[in-house]
Amino acid sequence: MRLEFVKTFIDSTTHLFQEVVCSDAEVASIKMRPSPVAGGEVMAIIGLMGDAQGRVIFDMDSLTATRIAECMIGEPSEGLTPMVRSAIAELASMATGRAISEINNGGVTLKMSPPTVISGANISYDHCLETLVAPITTAYGEVRVNITIQDLK
Amino acid sequence: MVNEKRASVGAKGPLNCLIVDDSAFARFRLRRLMDSLDHCVASEAANGNEAISAYNRLKPDIVLMDIVMPGLEGVETVRRICEADPQARVIMISSVSYRDKIEEALAAGAKCFIPKPVTTEELKRAIDKVMDKDEMLDVRC
Repeated sequence: MRLEFVKTFIDSTTHLFQEVVCSDAEVASIKMRPSPVAGGEVMAIIGLMGDAQGRVIFDMDSLTATRIAECMIGEPSEGLTPMVRSAIAELASMATGRAISEINNGGVTLKMSPPTVISGANISYDHCLETLVAPITTAYGEVRVNITIQDLK
Repeated sequence: MVNEKRASVGAKGPLNCLIVDDSAFARFRLRRLMDSLDHCVASEAANGNEAISAYNRLKPDIVLMDIVMPGLEGVETVRRICEADPQARVIMISSVSYRDKIEEALAAGAKCFIPKPVTTEELKRAIDKVMDKDEMLDVRC
């Protein structure tokens, strides 16, 4: 786990929440887990590749996702519409893009994939890779940022 | 693909714009910003190949281009558009905004780079710069 990068991802996410959805974002206790946390109803997944590889998963319940997206869109939404899913994907993409930009400016090459959003009851991500989970409390509910990033062997 | 339309362009009139982003939300937001600046969104594209096709068909005054997209990504798309039309005015708008990527985008032919999330003021400033100057801009708008 490239722990020195983790703070960059968490900071970019909290700053983006303040900037895009005008919500304070507080990070609760960060924990290392053997795999990403399961159980959220909405996951935005972004792959990382380059000098290191891994993924970032933004995991939240559907009400939180809808409320965040409504703020971004500027109008009410009826649940997890395609536009709500797209807004969540864009938020994840902006947070990750900002983090990898800072990391690249520090001399480490890191690229990101376009985001993928999956949703449903009790969804999980079955890759058992050591993951750092940062629960972020926002005005709209909790967003968990699951970060896995490892050097290439 | 959305319905295509063109503004009636005067010397200082509304610009015809092509928005290229794989995110429906990002396209929605950029369309809203362009509407607020009284410009016309001629069309939208969700990837590089769609963008090249739409550009060749519509010859928009300005292109707003994302970088990270599935398939043909933004920088290579700009390179192909600008090779075919060196007068193309492309503004890159991306969350991926590290130095090497910005330089790569400008070398490919983009005139300007704005990091996401973009504000109305940043977009207006970028459009003004790109439309007022013929020379390549070498800094962020």
